[in-house]
Amino acid sequence: MTTNPQQTARVGLFFLLGMALIWVTYETLSGGKLWFKDKGYQLVAGFDSLKELKAGDDVRMAGVKIGDVALTRLAGRRAEAVLRIDSDKRIKADATATIVTQGLIGTGYVSIDLGTEAAPFLPAGGEIRTAATADLNSVMAQLGDLGRKLEGALGGLGTSLNGDSRQPGLLQKVDTILTENRENLSRTTANLQQITDKVNRGEGTLGRLLNDSRLHDELLAGVTELKQGATQARSFLANAEELVAEVKRGRGTLGALVYDQKAADDLKASLASLREVSEQLAQGRGTLGQLLKDDSLVRETRALLKKADRAIDNLDDTGPITAVGVVANGLF
Amino acid sequence: MSTTSLSSPPAAVGTPSVTDRLLTWLPTPVFQVLHGTGSTLLLLARTLRHVPSLPRQFGRFIEQCHLIGYTTMPIVGILSFFIGSVLALQSGHAGENVGYKQFIGALVGLTMARELGPVMAAVLLAGRVGSAIAAELASMKVYQEVDALETMNIPPERMLVLPRIAAVLTMMPVLTIMADLVGWFGGAIVSQYTHFISIEPASYFANLRQYMDFGDVLNGLIKAEVFGLTVVLVCCNIGLNTRGGPREIGASVTRAVVTSLILILVLDFFVTKALM
Amino acid sequence: MPAANSTSPLPGAAPAVGVTVEGLSKRFGTFEVLRGVSFTVQPGEIFVLMGPSGSGKSVLLKHLVGLERPSAGQTTVAGLDGADPTTRERVRMALVFQAGALFNSLSVYDNLALYPREHRLGDEAAIRDRVMRALQILSLENAAHKFPAELSGGMKKRVAIARALVMEPQLLLYDEPTSELDPVMSATITEIIATLRQRYQVTSIVVSHDRDLALAIADRVGILMGGELIFLGPPADLRQPTDPRVADFLNPRIDLEHPRFKHLET
Repeated sequence: MTTNPQQTARVGLFFLLGMALIWVTYETLSGGKLWFKDKGYQLVAGFDSLKELKAGDDVRMAGVKIGDVALTRLAGRRAEAVLRIDSDKRIKADATATIVTQGLIGTGYVSIDLGTEAAPFLPAGGEIRTAATADLNSVMAQLGDLGRKLEGALGGLGTSLNGDSRQPGLLQKVDTILTENRENLSRTTANLQQITDKVNRGEGTLGRLLNDSRLHDELLAGVTELKQGATQARSFLANAEELVAEVKRGRGTLGALVYDQKAADDLKASLASLREVSEQLAQGRGTLGQLLKDDSLVRETRALLKKADRAIDNLDDTGPITAVGVVANGLF
Repeated sequence: MSTTSLSSPPAAVGTPSVTDRLLTWLPTPVFQVLHGTGSTLLLLARTLRHVPSLPRQFGRFIEQCHLIGYTTMPIVGILSFFIGSVLALQSGHAGENVGYKQFIGALVGLTMARELGPVMAAVLLAGRVGSAIAAELASMKVYQEVDALETMNIPPERMLVLPRIAAVLTMMPVLTIMADLVGWFGGAIVSQYTHFISIEPASYFANLRQYMDFGDVLNGLIKAEVFGLTVVLVCCNIGLNTRGGPREIGASVTRAVVTSLILILVLDFFVTKALM
Repeated sequence: MPAANSTSPLPGAAPAVGVTVEGLSKRFGTFEVLRGVSFTVQPGEIFVLMGPSGSGKSVLLKHLVGLERPSAGQTTVAGLDGADPTTRERVRMALVFQAGALFNSLSVYDNLALYPREHRLGDEAAIRDRVMRALQILSLENAAHKFPAELSGGMKKRVAIARALVMEPQLLLYDEPTSELDPVMSATITEIIATLRQRYQVTSIVVSHDRDLALAIADRVGILMGGELIFLGPPADLRQPTDPRVADFLNPRIDLEHPRFKHLET
C-alpha cells in the first residue's frame, strides 16, 4: 500500500492546474470582483407605465449596458423601476431615462442619455429624470388635443383680426397671440402637412393601417380639426400680409393708426417669426412634426398589425387546436 | 452494518410491520428502486461516519485521484473539444440566416459551462471510473475480500468508499473546468475557420465574456460535484451489493453504469432547476 | 482494541475464548439452511464441523463472525453476541476463507500488513517485524512480494492463514482449509492448524469434510446434515458410528449398480 511518489506529484500538479484554471476563469469572467455580480448602486426611475419592462432587463447608457432592472413596483400613482447600475458607471443628474421596447415579444430596456457635461452625478439611491416615450396611442391623443387647441387659438385670432380691426393695438395683440401660440402653431402645422401628405398619397395610410374603427374615427376627427385650423391659419397669413402692405404704404385705417416706426418694427418682427415658423413647418421640424415625419412609428405599427393579422388569419384557417403554434409562428 | 441484507422483499419473520407488508406488495421494479435509493443513502451515511479517518486513507485517496482525475482527463478533453466545436458549428449554421451568429461565443460558453461540461465529465466518469469501481468492488465482494475486511474489523466504507468519494469531490471541479475551457476553445477554433461563421477569437471571447459571469461556471461545478458523488456512490453500492458468482460481476458493472447515466440526467434536471 | 497485553510473541497473547451456538436457525427466503443448531466450543479446543456440501457449515461460520444475522437463536463468542458488530472490536477473530479471499490488488506482504496498518498497531518497522514473523511461521518469507495471482492454491491458503495470524486472534476459524488441495498439501495444512493451537492455545473451529483432518487433530467433531447437527462427540466415536447417516457420510460405499444420484430427491 505504498503510494508511488510520482503518482502523488502528478495528482498534485493536476489539482493545482485545475484550481489555477478555475481562478483564471473567475478573474476573466467576473473581473476579480468580490462576488459574482457587481452589487453596484441603485437608482429609482418613476414612470406612468413600465410597459413591458421587467426585472432583469438591461439598463443602457448611449447603447452600452451599464446595469439592469433590479425590480419593478407600484408606488402610489406611478410605477417605479429600481435600476442597478455598475458601480463604476456614473450618471449625470440631468440625464433622462426612457423605456425602449423592441419588437413584439416584448424585450425592453431602460435607455439613459448622457446628460450634460456640467451636471453633477446622481447619488446612489437617487431618482433619475424620466420621459415617457411616444407610442401610437399617446401620439393620437396628443394630435386631437393639439388640433382643438389650435382651432381655439386661431379662431380667436381670426375674429380679432377681421372683426375688430379698427381698434388700435391690434397688431400688438396679434403679436402676443402669435408668440404665445408659436409652438402650438409650429407643431400643428407640421402635423398637418405630414398628415395631409399621407392622406394625399395613400388615402389615409394611417387610417387604413389602423383597422380599429375607433382609432380611425379619432384620427379623422383630428384631421378635420387640423384642416380647419390650416384654413384659418392660411387666411390669417393672407390678412397679415395684406396688413403689412397697407402699413408700408401708410394707407388704410390700420395703416393710419399704426404710423410710428416702433409699431412697424414690431410687426416686422412678428411676421419674421411667423415666417420662421412656417419654414420650420415646411422642413418638418418640431417635436410632433418630427415624430410624424419619421415614419418608423408607422412602420413599426404596420409590422405589428401584419403579424397580428397573420396570426388571426391562421387562427381562422386552422381552428383553435394549433392556436398556440400559430401564435408562436406569428411572434417569431 | 452487514451489507448482506435484502435484495428481494424481506422474508416474513414473526409479524411483519405495516410498512414491510406494504413493501412486499410492491412490484419488484419499484421495490428495487426503493431498495437502491435507500441502500445508497445508508452507504453514504455510514461512509460519512468515517470522515475523521480520511487522513489515514491518504495513499488510497491519491491513488483514486490519479484514476479519477489524471487518467480521465484526456478523454474528457477530447470529447469536450468536439462538443464545443459541434456546438459552434451547429449554431453558426442555424444562425447564419437569422443573424445571431455573433452570439456564438455566449452560446457555446454558457452551454458548455452550465450544461455540457459537467454532464459530459460525469458521463465519462460513469463510463470510465464508475464501471471500474463497480467491477473492482463486485469482484472483491464475490471473492469474499469484503467479508475478509469485515472480519478484520476494517469497515469497507472506510477503506473502499471514503477515499473514492473524497477523490471524486476533489477531482470533479478540475475535470469540469477543463471540459469547459477545452470546449470554449474548440468553439473558438471552429468559429474562426468555418467560412460561413468566420468570427475572430477575440470577438468570440468578448461575446462570451459579455454574457457570462463566474456564477455560470460555478453553477456547472456544483452540478459536477453532485453528479460525481452520485456516480461514485451508486457504483460503490451496486458493487458492494453484488451477490453470487463471477457472472454477477459483469451484471453489476452494467447496472452500475446504466443507473449512473440515468441518475446523471434525472439529477441534471432537478439540480439545474434548484440552482436557477 | 482489546488485549492490553499485546507485548508478547506473536499469536495467542490474549486468552483463548469459548464459543456457544444456541438454537441457531437461518432462513434465506423460504429455504431453511440451519435448523436449531446448538453446541459449545471450549477455549483452546479444536472443533471440526463436518458435513456434506450445502449442509450450512460455511453459513454457520459466518454467523460466528457476524457476517450473517440469525433468523432465530444466538451465537456468542466469549459471552458476547456474535451478531453484534462491536463483538468483532472486542474479541479478535480471524476467518480463513475457503478461497483465501486475499486482496488481489495487494502483494502478500501488504495483505498481511493491512490489518496492523489500518488499526495503527505500531510504526512501519514494528509492522514489518510482525508480518515477517507470521510469514516465517508458515515458511512464506520468499513469497512476501508476490501477488496473490502468482500463488498456487496451497500457497494461497497458507498466506490466508498467515494473514489471520497477524491479527493475533483469540478465535481462529477455518473454512474448508484443505479443499482442492493434493493430499500432501492437505496434510501440511492440517499440521499447521494443530501446530498453531499447540503453540498459541488459540480456539480453532474448522469447517471441513476432510475425514483425515478430523480424525487426526480434532478434540471434538460435529456433523451437520440438512441444517441439523446429527453428531457431536470426540473423533473416536466416529470410528464406530451408530447413526447410519454418519456412517454413510464417513465411509460412503461406491455402488455402481444402484447409483446414489438416482435416488436424490432434489
